[in-house]
Amino acid sequence: MLDGLLILLLFQFLGEVVIHFTGLPLPAPVVGMVLLLLALMFNLPGGDRVSEAAGALIRHISLLIFPLGVGIVLQWSRYQDYALALTVAVVFGTIVTMVLVTLLLKVLMPREHHHD
Amino acid sequence: MTDLLHTPLFGLLLTLASYRVATWIYGKAHSLPVFHPFLVASIPVVVVLPLAGLSYEEYREQIQGLSFLLGPATVALAWPLYRQLRTVRSVWKPVLITTLVGAVLAAGIAVLLAWWLGAPEPVVGSLAPKSITTPIAVEVVRSTDGFVALAAGAVAITGIVGALVAGPVFRLLRVRDDRIRGFALGLVAHAIGTARAFEYGEKAGAFASLALGLTGLVTALALPWLWPWVAGLLFGI
Repeated sequence: MLDGLLILLLFQFLGEVVIHFTGLPLPAPVVGMVLLLLALMFNLPGGDRVSEAAGALIRHISLLIFPLGVGIVLQWSRYQDYALALTVAVVFGTIVTMVLVTLLLKVLMPREHHHD
Repeated sequence: MTDLLHTPLFGLLLTLASYRVATWIYGKAHSLPVFHPFLVASIPVVVVLPLAGLSYEEYREQIQGLSFLLGPATVALAWPLYRQLRTVRSVWKPVLITTLVGAVLAAGIAVLLAWWLGAPEPVVGSLAPKSITTPIAVEVVRSTDGFVALAAGAVAITGIVGALVAGPVFRLLRVRDDRIRGFALGLVAHAIGTARAFEYGEKAGAFASLALGLTGLVTALALPWLWPWVAGLLFGI
């Protein structure tokens, strides 16, 4: 757990360093994620020690997120004028995207040899 | 006594307790998407904060320590992505094409609909990352000048709607391939869709995890470059 957290914070820091020196318009944690992925693909020694901390953080991601979402209700006056646009874009947009992506996969994905 | 309300301890306690109750309810409801902890945990917080006389800004400050963990949580996504990359080598081509096209569709459809219905730029910008996993979305939304709260909410609702309509959509389109069901769920409905995909089995879950990681990555890498151009086109700035 401790090693994993150390690795995650180290790579987030590396992401910050890369952003600082390159001025890329990217979120530092995303750069850290790419760097960690590359390190794992090149067999970073002890890389699998990240699994426990990574698993715990990802499992409880809703805990980190929902306090941001309550802002929608508490600052509703900021958004109420666009309630229709928001609802249509999010709900209808998601349904349409789901249909299109599923159709695309049906066309592109080669058949499996065995069926279950 | 009331000065106790204005300490980080109060905000953290309220947040953790709400989340704990919400995960219990979610388990009791057999992980039904409408009972997702994101929604249920929000209710006590939304009720208690005004009663305690706390502003949203002060609450956000109280729980800064918790929000900080979103950074390492984003980095952590490299782990499941790495694990899944090995299982799908044989179908990398359809996977890659679908990720690129799907990421554009997911963001583009929402952006165009909101723009068409008259939403202003920061609101439209908040919706662009709606199909990607929340830790990445709240980072990316800074580059589109959107509202973090709105982005987080749009992502959550997208996940819930996606997980709910997936079953009917797959039945209607006669999809029985778990690789397709999983990948579509992970791409459109991120983590909530991935949880739904695991109900179809391990393979669907693996493809959903892969789609979640790839879509988040592609969107995070492309949106900060593309957004100024898209905003210029739609809003003429």
